[in-house]
Amino acid sequence: MSIFKEKSVFTRRQFLIGSGMLAATVVITGIFAKLGFDAYAVSDDYIEKRAAGLYNLDEKMAIRKSHENSEILQIYKDFLSPGEVSPVSEKAHHLLHTKYGKEIPAMIEELHAHQHDAA
Amino acid sequence: MSTATLADTGIIQITKACKACDHCTSVCPTGAVKGLLGQKHSIDYKTCINCGQCLINCPFGAIIDTSSVEQVKQALNDSGKTVIVQEAPAVRVALGEEFGMPVGTNVKGKMHAALRKLGFDKVYDTEFAADLTIMEEGTELIHRVFKLAGVAGYEDRGPLPQFTSCCPAWIKYAEDKYPAILPHLSSAKSPQQMFGAIAKTYAANKQGVNPADMVSVSVMPCTAKKYECDRPEMKASGFQDVDYVITTRELATIIKDAGIDFVNLPDEEADKLIGTSTGAATIFGVTGGVMEAALRTAYEILSGESLNKVEFTAVRGMQPVREATVEIPIKDLGINLPVNVCIVTGTKYVDKVIEDVLAGRSKYHFIEVMNCPGGCINGGGQPIRHEMY
Repeated sequence: MSIFKEKSVFTRRQFLIGSGMLAATVVITGIFAKLGFDAYAVSDDYIEKRAAGLYNLDEKMAIRKSHENSEILQIYKDFLSPGEVSPVSEKAHHLLHTKYGKEIPAMIEELHAHQHDAA
Repeated sequence: MSTATLADTGIIQITKACKACDHCTSVCPTGAVKGLLGQKHSIDYKTCINCGQCLINCPFGAIIDTSSVEQVKQALNDSGKTVIVQEAPAVRVALGEEFGMPVGTNVKGKMHAALRKLGFDKVYDTEFAADLTIMEEGTELIHRVFKLAGVAGYEDRGPLPQFTSCCPAWIKYAEDKYPAILPHLSSAKSPQQMFGAIAKTYAANKQGVNPADMVSVSVMPCTAKKYECDRPEMKASGFQDVDYVITTRELATIIKDAGIDFVNLPDEEADKLIGTSTGAATIFGVTGGVMEAALRTAYEILSGESLNKVEFTAVRGMQPVREATVEIPIKDLGINLPVNVCIVTGTKYVDKVIEDVLAGRSKYHFIEVMNCPGGCINGGGQPIRHEMY
């Protein structure tokens, strides 16, 4: 039967399937490119409204600067830097600061050692 | 010793409902979504930063995040546990949307009331820890500036510019792709993790609670916060500092399941001790907010003067990369320092900023990076805007 085999690279069937898929890809990509664009236009609108919500709330707050928060001053005086307001104290460093990337395993070791000291 | 955690497996999954439309691929900041148009997609957890932008932008609701809702409900029903909760700033201007209220409505008071009705023993506020972050991160920045100016005693401080470290998606991106930039990141933990470490030490002690019996829950606009709380080093209190993170969407579901009439709740305050906050903390939820909050405090501390106008509108806006210069008189050094700041919202825009720093070309002193476009208000844990599709 091989004498009837077409000599082209594609069979007629393969060519039809291929061109059909190509057309579908172009159309679907086009539709989603458009959809994506529209989605962003709407999304900016709700982002702006949520942002306005936070800025309005800021304006209504009695105190608007972190270093004037009475409970912040209290936690430094009572706990983090006893008797004074002194950020980056030893205790603050232990509880409130961290490390990144390849320094983390050593940090975890240090945490374990710290717990043994406390125990 | 190593056990599988969320940090290894990731937070976001693409379900069988995926229609292979490729929209998620276009919003993913790191190219972590695999699969060509027409093939069901999957996520490469090595590069995924857990931000959930694919999830909130999926037109078919085919992308989900891991959930701790059942564990939180169990803890609330366990009389032997003291369950405390913190809520991020961005939650309070989005939660109302799940109950039909207009976008951007401030439901801070109703949110506190609903959490109390759900049975949380103490309803605190992440905003307290945002103020604490400014104290620590702001002081760290001042010390790095002193080092640059050659002031004695600050030689061991980190380099400038300093990058913010509140956003766990940005942190993972920096760790994965730019290890050389890590010394530039502020060593300050995020507000969520500062809160967790304080809750099981300072607050447990003041409340007279054994920290082993305390369950610390966090309500976040963010899916990456679920990953952050599970990072193995986040155990400064001797326990996991934050036990469970639920999203704004999940809190809404829990409130609905409990049959609470959210819209008609009275406004309530957060509990005292670690629940009081300022406007500076509130704006953490929007791009440029951490920068503005830090400038308010750094300006007053360095200059010794009181600001007449607390708004630094130059750092506000929605453009992905913004810059500003703020002249700060430094009393101790007797100089006026023009502080150059940069704000990036959208991790796909941060590469150039980082490469300039690594090449020594950057003129900035302080750089804020938030992964989600617009900041946490548009985080992967926020209500999904179904009308978009």
